[in-house]
Amino acid sequence: MSAIAAKPAGNAGAFQPVASVIAIILAIIFIGAAYFLGSSGILSGGAMLPVTTLVGIIVGAALIAFGVHFVPVGGAPAAMGQSPGIATGVAMLATGAGLAGLFGGAWAASLGFGVALAGGAIGGGLMMAITCLMVNISYVYGMGIPAASGKVEKDPITGDSQAEYKSQGTEGHGLPFISYVGGVVGGLFGGLGGTLIYIELLDFYTASFPALNIVGEGASALAVGLAGIFAIGMFLVIAVLSAYNITGTIEGPHDPKFKRFPRAIIAAICASGICGLVALLAVAIL
Amino acid sequence: MQEIIIGIGVTALAGALAAVAGAAEDTESNIGSQGDPNSQVQLAPQMGYTHRIYNKAVSGEPPAYTLWVTLACGIAWAFMMLHVNAVLAIIFGTVLATFVQGIYATTAYLGRTASLSKFGQPVFIDVLKSVTTVTMGHAFVAIFTTVTACYLMATVLNHPFSLPLLGIVWGLALGAAGSATGNPYYGKERQYQNQKFGAGVPISASGNIVRYAEAGQRSSIDNGFFTAKLGGPASGLCFGLIVFFELWRTVLFEHTWNGWGAVVVGVVIILLFAILDRYVEKWARKNYGPYTAEA
Amino acid sequence: MSVKVEASHDGIPHEKVMAMGLVLALVSLYIAVAGSYAGYDYLAFFGGIAAVGALIWGNSTIKRLCSYGIGTGVPSAGMLAFGSGVIAMLFAAKLAVISPFLVPIAGLIIALIVGLILGWISNSVLNMKIPVMTRSIAELAAVGSLALMGLTIVATGHITFTQITSFTLDILGITVNMYDASYIGAGIIAVSFMLGAIALQHPFNACLGPGEKQDRTNMLTIECGFLSMIVMAVISFAFVSMVAAWISLIIALIGWYWSYKKYFALSKRDAAAWLNAKPFSDAEE
Repeated sequence: MSAIAAKPAGNAGAFQPVASVIAIILAIIFIGAAYFLGSSGILSGGAMLPVTTLVGIIVGAALIAFGVHFVPVGGAPAAMGQSPGIATGVAMLATGAGLAGLFGGAWAASLGFGVALAGGAIGGGLMMAITCLMVNISYVYGMGIPAASGKVEKDPITGDSQAEYKSQGTEGHGLPFISYVGGVVGGLFGGLGGTLIYIELLDFYTASFPALNIVGEGASALAVGLAGIFAIGMFLVIAVLSAYNITGTIEGPHDPKFKRFPRAIIAAICASGICGLVALLAVAIL
Repeated sequence: MQEIIIGIGVTALAGALAAVAGAAEDTESNIGSQGDPNSQVQLAPQMGYTHRIYNKAVSGEPPAYTLWVTLACGIAWAFMMLHVNAVLAIIFGTVLATFVQGIYATTAYLGRTASLSKFGQPVFIDVLKSVTTVTMGHAFVAIFTTVTACYLMATVLNHPFSLPLLGIVWGLALGAAGSATGNPYYGKERQYQNQKFGAGVPISASGNIVRYAEAGQRSSIDNGFFTAKLGGPASGLCFGLIVFFELWRTVLFEHTWNGWGAVVVGVVIILLFAILDRYVEKWARKNYGPYTAEA
Repeated sequence: MSVKVEASHDGIPHEKVMAMGLVLALVSLYIAVAGSYAGYDYLAFFGGIAAVGALIWGNSTIKRLCSYGIGTGVPSAGMLAFGSGVIAMLFAAKLAVISPFLVPIAGLIIALIVGLILGWISNSVLNMKIPVMTRSIAELAAVGSLALMGLTIVATGHITFTQITSFTLDILGITVNMYDASYIGAGIIAVSFMLGAIALQHPFNACLGPGEKQDRTNMLTIECGFLSMIVMAVISFAFVSMVAAWISLIIALIGWYWSYKKYFALSKRDAAAWLNAKPFSDAEE
């Protein structure tokens, strides 16, 4: 992301069973709280609407956390052709793709739930498809460097051997096809998750506003504004937590670090549980 | 029908504006030395290589451009609320955003350089004066075009997001596209011009950046005209294509099959780009061949 | 190739900086809220002071956290802080229904709770094993929430949910409530969000290195705070009265100019050399 990408303190990548169970229990408590608040009339829409909204938000967050692990990001070394991946920060690249998806999803929101979700996913995937292609074009036609992975012998998709295309003294460079596919899949998941969070919040706010006496001129724009800023905020939180999980750089789905994703999903479930609950409470009837 | 024709025109215009924005963004960040390649500028004095390169460590390009564009969008909106003409309001917003960008640039250069005093890296006031203004000029172009594209999306294409929210989305995408495409060209090709062409920089060479220009000592402005040859246009193409296809598929195919048309077209475009990428990758493997032990 | 993150040994300990920042932020917020409660928006500029206070605290926290090396850049911490802060801040604004004076303290407490959970997740579930992680993320969320409240007050003069979600306009004697022209409906909160996030991470990110000095970094924090305030003051012309907006703008400009000049002087003090149009001398060649 910037000049500093120092090594983490003691990140072995181990799964933490006890903490994970506690995190899941916390998330269930948050959903229970949403149910209680809904049935006691503090959140509008009855008992079930807050619960389904919160579950939707949590699923969206889990999709984002999963998707971030696909995005091939090499950080500072990638900018010198020293390691494969895209030369920028993982949290921000994933967020860029996710928000491009959110743009498409929000636009298609009036056409129905399914179309909006698909549109959001495609928006994120399209952004990554073009970006990853231009990265490879820049490497190949600008600098005369072929793509090579440092983590695997053979590209799992194309079967191309990698080691002999890796220049001396580097860990690889560019985006091998598996990383390209990883980037697109990451964009798809990011766009899907971001759009899901946005649409769930938008529906909830739209349903809550009449009870708050927010009707008339521009009420729908207000719902869009609230849902939009919450979706962006939550996306950033989840993306940064996932970036912490992969400690900055990852090559894509073939990278050994990819196996850490269950941890990030559990973290995202718990984090989005509390953030989502507070976001719902912003339109509580007090 | 007329709506679609206007939509196509706006799509093309937004795509063109985005292409300009991407090119200006990458050139700006390379002149100022921002993003991942800047780690080498930061590292060089610690390895004993004093230099006259700018050190614009505001943050990575994506968050920085998100701020500049969102800022300009917000101020433009405020001026429009005060009944200022939209074009003028966007210009006011861009001017203020460029001012903020310039201030952040100077404080980053001063801060990073002063903190390197242990290694004898001096602060060059002439670099501060000349480079900051040049980056501000490029930033103005990048911000103005992006904000205009956002404004077109909000007003003509009726996107539900308000102007600043569109600013966050497209500012971030601009920074992400520009840094992804442009960073390697600046980092590998320009900073390490003395290293072998067609190969990555060996990790052992880190910090040994090129510090001399054709005549005299290189300052960051010398990096702009180099990366403007390929890194800038490639970034522009990247961001322009993203904006264009994102709008194009929606504007033209939104009403086909209850909205699924836009999704299907999106999938087809993604597959086309994947095939292109595979072609580029294979072309490089065939034409460049594997690295041999010592050429 | 990665640069080691080195933080200076602080002259003023973190707890003290934190207390100063927190008190400054809360006191200023309460003055501004009292002004808004009494019906005057002239005190909106205190929101900017609150943002500066919160940023001073946040900068010290970021320095403590990032000296451990968190695996990704400093800017991500700012994003995390404001991502959680914006959620806490809007819920706190909702509590103004009970009393507007509840908002600042509620924003602080809600953000601390959200931040504690996020910090615990990063440390335990993600296994980052950084001793100050839980506490730092909690502090950062609180800073995000306080700074956003401050910037919101500068822009709109208010902090209550009703007033930041609606914009009243008198057209021919009839009061029209426009939600889409409000602080949130028009998305101006996105501007505060980004301004705060960059201002929070910038001072330490810009000054990091072996020669980092606490007073210089703090001066840059103040400068970033006032710079953000300038922008919000310009935007506030759309929301508050002309006089209040001018007061905010002039105070922001004075504060910014003073701190920017000071920051230049401190950089000159710390720099190895201060050269104008002179080449560097290369000892090796």
